[in-house]
Amino acid sequence: MTADTRPHVLVVDDEIQIRRSLRLTLESAGFRVGEAETGQLGLSATAASPPDGIVLDLGLPDIGGNMVLRRLREWSRVPVLVLTVRDAEDDKIAALDAGADDYLTKPFSSRELIARLRAVLRRAQPAPESAVVAFGDIEVDLSARQVRRGGVEIKLTGKEYALLRLLVQHRGRVVTHREILRQIWGPQAEDSTHYLRVQMTHLRKKLEAEPQQPRHLRTESGIGYRLVEA
Amino acid sequence: MSEPRQNEWREYALVLSVLIVLTAGGLLLPPHYSLSVGLLYLLALILLSLRVGRWPMLLGGLLSALTWEYFFLEPRFNFRIANVQETLLFAIYFVLALVVGQLSARIRSQARKEKMREESERLQRTLLDSVSHELRTPLAVITAGLENMESSPPAAQAGLVAEIRTATHRLNRLVGNLLDQTRLESGSLRPRVDWCDARDLVNAANDGVRDALTGHPLTVAVPEDLPPIRADFALTEHALANLLLNAALHTPAGTPIRISAGLSADGRQAFFTVADRGPGLPAPLRARLFQKFSRGETAGAGGLGLGLSIARGFLAAQGGEIIAGENPGGGATFSIYLPHSAPQPDPQE
Repeated sequence: MTADTRPHVLVVDDEIQIRRSLRLTLESAGFRVGEAETGQLGLSATAASPPDGIVLDLGLPDIGGNMVLRRLREWSRVPVLVLTVRDAEDDKIAALDAGADDYLTKPFSSRELIARLRAVLRRAQPAPESAVVAFGDIEVDLSARQVRRGGVEIKLTGKEYALLRLLVQHRGRVVTHREILRQIWGPQAEDSTHYLRVQMTHLRKKLEAEPQQPRHLRTESGIGYRLVEA
Repeated sequence: MSEPRQNEWREYALVLSVLIVLTAGGLLLPPHYSLSVGLLYLLALILLSLRVGRWPMLLGGLLSALTWEYFFLEPRFNFRIANVQETLLFAIYFVLALVVGQLSARIRSQARKEKMREESERLQRTLLDSVSHELRTPLAVITAGLENMESSPPAAQAGLVAEIRTATHRLNRLVGNLLDQTRLESGSLRPRVDWCDARDLVNAANDGVRDALTGHPLTVAVPEDLPPIRADFALTEHALANLLLNAALHTPAGTPIRISAGLSADGRQAFFTVADRGPGLPAPLRARLFQKFSRGETAGAGGLGLGLSIARGFLAAQGGEIIAGENPGGGATFSIYLPHSAPQPDPQE
């Protein structure tokens, strides 16, 4: 008998139907699935046998998903994908601030779930970070600070490059406005989202085939931005 | 506000003119008819109380008592009262006149309450009927689709899956609308107004209703140099999506829809406009357009009639508004307006 090498995902949700359907979806996508029906059980299951990733429902009956995240982040860096209901932008931002890696709004498509889960799992893998990241016809050379589009070098301003680099480093995952503003403009600019809007418009004009309908530099409604590679 | 006030003035005018006519008529009668004139006044007040409200009635009671005393009770043409019997008559008249007015006002307000209660019961019944219809239709499609799936050939399964998917979208939208309306009414809406890219808003709204827009060519016109605008992204996106959905559901298949954004001429408002080439907005529909549970007759695919009510509520919560209009050349337009001021330039640029 060989050891199970499939990535291990823990599903924390109080609804048995959601757990069952997630198990079906995840197992057919090649994951090994564990289940916990409360936040407390989720925490102890993670402590007993650390999974490679956690899918966490925010609306748990015992301790709320955000509390689970805060307690978890005191001792673990395991990637967490949270499940929320729509219209709960504040909850989503609170979850990301509390240490979630990404979120998914219910009801979601299983394809979306797998893609998001793979993206958050990839962050945790200590694979050697390649200096050149490519998406579409764009190539970003992080070591040479160069950006090429269709092989032609594109001149970016300092702010534009900083924004692009941040999204590339977190590619596939959402980065909140606050996070971007803090990292690029400094903590005093956390609420100055219009700086960011303007830079994003410039960046899209330089990099997107259709800046008005961006394929890669995506907006996450009311939350932040996400670099989508496909 | 202005309508009831205007009605009230009309009621005062009616009371005054009735009293003037009666007084003038009474003066033509011989002096010993004074008691009959008093009873005539009373009769007029009782009849008036069927038409006019509490305050005009109070004025009528006071005025008629005074005119009766002045013109008809001995000694006539002054406010002196001759004897105990006259005093008694005057006092009884005065009390009767006031009581008649107040009693009838109370009866009328009770009748009004009863009518409102009946109307609200009727509304509730219709609402329950329509909610259960809207919930059961997609559920029926899903149930039947799943059952058929087990026995149908693989070729037919794609069609069933598509039907189930459409029904699920519809169910999802319905639940979303009911929750949105509840959030609006419970006052738990806390808008987070921030700088937004108008084009992002339009894209997000389009994505949300893509399946419903199928078959309607969509044009998007957002100026490239439009600065960021102040809005709650999620609320504005929903409002826009509801307008797009309406444009798709209430117009014939194949008719185009245009969505545009920009700043008003004075730069103090940002706007989004959804324009269609459908049947437009007939006057009777216009009056109840934004009322909840009010539906246009052209709504082919059902719905609860919550979309515009929610859109307006979401806009009002962030200091904006929605205005309906005619599209020159045919069709309807719905415009969202949000307060705008130019963003501070980035000091690090």
